[in-house]
Amino acid sequence: MTAIILDGIVLGLQFGLLAAGFTLVYGLGGVLNLAYGQMAVISAMVILFSMNAGVSAIPAVGIGLVAGGLLGLIFDQTILRPIYRRHGEARVLLSLLLTLGVAFIVDGFLNWRYPTAGLTVGIDGGPIEILGVPMRRGSIVGSVIILVVFALLLVFFRGTSLGRAVRSVIEDEEGARLVGIDPSLMLRIILILSGVLAAVVAVTQSMVRPVTVTVGFSITVLALIVTVVGGLGSVTGAFLAGLILGVISSFATARIGTFLSLIILLVAAAITILIRPSGLLGVKE
Amino acid sequence: MTERFGEATGTSVVGGTERHASRSVLGLLVPVAAVGAVLSLVPLWLGDSRVNMTVAILGLAFVSYTIGFNLIFGSTGQLFLCVGALAGIGGYGAAIFADTAGLPILASILLATVASSLMGGLLSWIAVRRSLGVIFTGIVTLIFALAFHNLLLGLGDLTGGESGFLIEAGRDSFIRERVPAYYLMLGLSVVFLLVHGLLRRSRVGWAFRALRDDEVAAELAGVNVSRYRVYAALIGAAMLGMTGALYGLSQGRVSPTTYGFAEVDVVAVVMLAFGGIGSLFGPILGAITFTAINELLDPVGHLRLVPYGALVIALFLWIPRGVIPTVGDWLRRRRGSSFLR
Repeated sequence: MTAIILDGIVLGLQFGLLAAGFTLVYGLGGVLNLAYGQMAVISAMVILFSMNAGVSAIPAVGIGLVAGGLLGLIFDQTILRPIYRRHGEARVLLSLLLTLGVAFIVDGFLNWRYPTAGLTVGIDGGPIEILGVPMRRGSIVGSVIILVVFALLLVFFRGTSLGRAVRSVIEDEEGARLVGIDPSLMLRIILILSGVLAAVVAVTQSMVRPVTVTVGFSITVLALIVTVVGGLGSVTGAFLAGLILGVISSFATARIGTFLSLIILLVAAAITILIRPSGLLGVKE
Repeated sequence: MTERFGEATGTSVVGGTERHASRSVLGLLVPVAAVGAVLSLVPLWLGDSRVNMTVAILGLAFVSYTIGFNLIFGSTGQLFLCVGALAGIGGYGAAIFADTAGLPILASILLATVASSLMGGLLSWIAVRRSLGVIFTGIVTLIFALAFHNLLLGLGDLTGGESGFLIEAGRDSFIRERVPAYYLMLGLSVVFLLVHGLLRRSRVGWAFRALRDDEVAAELAGVNVSRYRVYAALIGAAMLGMTGALYGLSQGRVSPTTYGFAEVDVVAVVMLAFGGIGSLFGPILGAITFTAINELLDPVGHLRLVPYGALVIALFLWIPRGVIPTVGDWLRRRRGSSFLR
């Protein structure tokens, strides 16, 4: 029982982190970035190649995070420019289609050039015992990293004026503009942050299983589902939704079986969306 | 999230090209017959090659998928990202009804089509009742598509799991021959095209146009928006299911990737967007073009996704409404004609 819940929390933290970078871009810019998983994969490849070139693990991860941020900046400056010129659902649809094109390009190139590449950040050492349950060291380190990231995000959004400015744009773009906040600057910051978060996803995932060049699409889909369950633009919602879905998934796996667990996860997500279209902690529109 | 497609939200991505609707049936029959006649010549050209004919049959399956998707998304603005799953209900349904339950092959196809149609109607009903916008309809149907895919893998005893289902029914009949199967799929596409064309010329078509252009205004004018959405989904999903069933039978094998999200939905969206969302002949143009592009790029393997992706980006940046509406508008402006409407 304790083991199932702990497993669920470990899984749920991963889910929540997946959604964090995705939900911010969606909530703030109305942009559905279907190349989000590919951003994570690119960062994973940067870390992998740095490590292969002889850089040790921690600086390599640092390089990966910088690469993620750069990717976000490049996205903001290129593919998202024409998207920002549209509004409402037309913007979401165009963003969905254009970023899908980017995802194709990245996936096609990586699958062709590095078909077998996979990033594994090995955490040495035996299992760690928590509440009498032995847990894999990689999962625990990953979870701690995720918790720290979420704490930093909370401090950023609640405690700094820049973070509050970003939140004000999510809540009311026109109002924010009126008090002198530049929404496009906030968007650029959020895209960079989203890229860095995608890189963190790559790192924490690689502690549990290899991040290969083919996982991009599944990362995106999972991020999308957790995002809508948690509520668009809400990092806390993503965290909460991730935990809930993680625990549900873990229970379903343990009690019912692996194949149905994913279906139960999907059904749980669908029911949440149908009951609360704005998500658990979403802004009501 | 606003649900309207009015001027305010910009209709440029979703259809909205017709100025006024022609009700002439002749104006429909002639171009449809022309398309059918041209496509019926393909086996004369490719008939010797089994490989090429298989590609052509898949191309026609995509023509039909895209017509069904166009009826649901293009005509009534419901983004159904479960094209493959609904086709899969048709394909797996027909296979299971015919082989496992031992029903006659025609009855199996029919039952599977009905099952797919009802599923589409149910999804649409849920979306309408919860008044989900375009994106949320997309997400809920995407979740359904993923769940269906996992169900196929999980119920391995019934579906054959990852490796797929070898269909016994119709094994020695004409449907497994390439050229007859081609004409069968072509007949299906032409019939779907006619159905969609006739629908657009009927009262239903007026309602579709009204609710797509401005949902609130349509509702105020007395159009029962919810009901027409569900109708569109029932008809469109029936098309998808029947296509999936006939395609599966013609291949003699269905597998999860036959109806996968990446393999069917993504492709159908791109094809429709290329041809023109909401335009009658857009699906034909899009499906044929992208089937050809896919084949041309086949030798480069995985790398083909790169030009494919670049093409998708270029397409939506420069002609976001699709080729047929853009060209049609351009011709109308030049000649004031009613070409290709």
